[in-house]
Amino acid sequence: MSSYTEVSQVNGDEEAHVVAASEAAQVDTNKKEAQVTAEAIPSLPPHVVKDLLSIGVCVRCIFRLFGVRGCAYSCLSLLPSDLLSSVEESKGSHDCAVGICSKASENLNCALPFQESEDEPVFCSICLGILQFSYSKEKETLVKKYSASEFAVSIAELVKQEGHQIESFSLEVSVPPIILANERAILLYMKRKYGSEPWFQEKFLTEHTSVKDALKLLIIDSLGSLLFGTGSEDSLIALDSEFSEQSACEADAVFRRSLDGLPDHLFCERFTLPPERVNQPCHMAFLCYRTPIYIGGRYLKYSRNVSQSRWIIDDERMGQASVEEIIGGNIVPLLRGDDYKFHAAGREDIDVRMLGSGRPFLIEVQNARDVPSCVAVKQMEQKINNLEDRLVAVKNLKVVGNQGWNLMREGEAEKQKQYAALVWISRPLEEEDLQTISSFKDMRILQRTPIRVLHRRSPLEREKIIHWMKVGRITGSSQYFLLYLCTQAGTYIKEFVHGDFGRTHPSIGSILGCRAEILQLDVTDVKMDCFLTE
Amino acid sequence: MDDSDNYNNKNDTPSASFCVNSSEQERSKEEQELHELVVPNLRDLPVTPPSAVEANFVCYFAPDFMKPAHDQYIYRHANGLCVIGLAPTHVALKEKGVTAVDFNVGKSNRSEIKVTGKRKKNAQHFEANTALCKVCTSDASYIVRCCVKGSLLEVNDRLIDQPGLLNSSFCITGA
Repeated sequence: MSSYTEVSQVNGDEEAHVVAASEAAQVDTNKKEAQVTAEAIPSLPPHVVKDLLSIGVCVRCIFRLFGVRGCAYSCLSLLPSDLLSSVEESKGSHDCAVGICSKASENLNCALPFQESEDEPVFCSICLGILQFSYSKEKETLVKKYSASEFAVSIAELVKQEGHQIESFSLEVSVPPIILANERAILLYMKRKYGSEPWFQEKFLTEHTSVKDALKLLIIDSLGSLLFGTGSEDSLIALDSEFSEQSACEADAVFRRSLDGLPDHLFCERFTLPPERVNQPCHMAFLCYRTPIYIGGRYLKYSRNVSQSRWIIDDERMGQASVEEIIGGNIVPLLRGDDYKFHAAGREDIDVRMLGSGRPFLIEVQNARDVPSCVAVKQMEQKINNLEDRLVAVKNLKVVGNQGWNLMREGEAEKQKQYAALVWISRPLEEEDLQTISSFKDMRILQRTPIRVLHRRSPLEREKIIHWMKVGRITGSSQYFLLYLCTQAGTYIKEFVHGDFGRTHPSIGSILGCRAEILQLDVTDVKMDCFLTE
Repeated sequence: MDDSDNYNNKNDTPSASFCVNSSEQERSKEEQELHELVVPNLRDLPVTPPSAVEANFVCYFAPDFMKPAHDQYIYRHANGLCVIGLAPTHVALKEKGVTAVDFNVGKSNRSEIKVTGKRKKNAQHFEANTALCKVCTSDASYIVRCCVKGSLLEVNDRLIDQPGLLNSSFCITGA
């Protein structure tokens, strides 16, 4: 076709001046874009285009309103004046295709700043400069990119600065909600003015690409190839990491809802049609964030002075340390993450040791820059287990996916726990007592919320099950003994021993008919299927 | 002392067990380690340990509260909750003759208040001299007062059916 030969000839002469990444692929894309744009132009009614340009709508928004799709958007630096003239030309002849292509390729070869003519709106009345790649960053500096790929390059730079190790990404764009109002204003204005014209019925009542989607379409391909070096579609599947680009202030969902609920005639009353010109662009904030990495395992607590999570009252720490700080503090720096969240399947008091198989836990590392290998994870485990004060140990540490959550939460309430308690009673232990205690199987007890937690929990009566109990005598003592028991999750063991003013019934005290006190408690097994040794 | 119910009988396995596989060995090694951790050193333990009340509450006494020999205790927990009850020297407990406990005093029946939720909705505000309940012996009745200003969360309704608990285990059967 004649148009193609035109373009390639021009390109051949001016190769040195090509702005975008100088690969053959890029040139082909440009040719393709130019062609699509050329095909779209004839369908735009010139008087409308002129009108829209005069009220300050940018070229890409005009394309959007007319339902032009695909890569026409990314046609580099499409000047409004070009659009206008080619649209006018197209009224008559087929040569418009040639005209627009050569003009487009001229712009391709010209690296110099954008020419601003009178018709050129500085910032579009609808998209506020977003689709023109004009925005302000912090400190009010105005930034203007001349093409979609240049914009993509600047985004890719920001990502590389963070130093993430990723395999895929997803792009999230949020735009100020006033844009919705602007677009609606323009549409209603056009309806009022051109509603009777035939093309209006055809073109305007179809769905329009939103500003958000248009922006994404514009940069997602080049962003993909810049970050991963390939142009394949696979890299667009959102998996490990996320970026988001936010224009202006946070989107106001309330604004959107009220806008949706506003009928057209009321809208016309409250908003000016067409919207006024703007002389300030949006502010763009860029956020590059990786989806959290989960590391799971089981922890053991050997100290009676270590809480599970950080516990600080009035600026004073309770206990010597906390499990979450010991584990999180040793994992997060190795992954170059920002922060961590600690989740465990249940908890124990500060003065209760966690022994035996350990308690399942999950560390959620936020914005990790590196994904650890199996070897690295083993090293983490050894590091924690070899800390000098040996307060906490971990087992079966490994990176888990999202299923880690479900594994932990699944049946948390049904799982059984085993304990060893050091009990003292006010009279000597008899043989009979051992038999009595061992004879209970799946005993039901009623526990009122213990007084020590009643200030922050609802006053309820909870039925719990003690699956089995066993006494371990201690040689040399007649009143001290070890009580081994297996109970339903959520049972308060301390209250089961001393009775909590009779609010837990039955209790060891009531079963043995004397006063019983608990001195020490250890959790010896958390019977859950997750994070077990393979 | 060691009987078959004793936990630690696994060490008495007789003679040769050549075929014990390694995971079983590992498991019994783990159990042995666990056992060693769990069993205490008697030398570290007191002959008589402090009671749960002594260990977790600050014990206050209000002797002759509003009337002679009306001795009550207040056990205050670190979280601010208090357990109010009759001290052993209370006149009602002399002769161990408590026959009935009645919570229907003042304007409402204290045993019928239902306090719900974390915010303790419906809890009634009481002053120090507000009546909690009435304790009856065979020949007299005594009003038990709140002694502290606060909200009533719960009463010991077991005392309605078993007032004799006050006679036997007054220190651990609070109101």
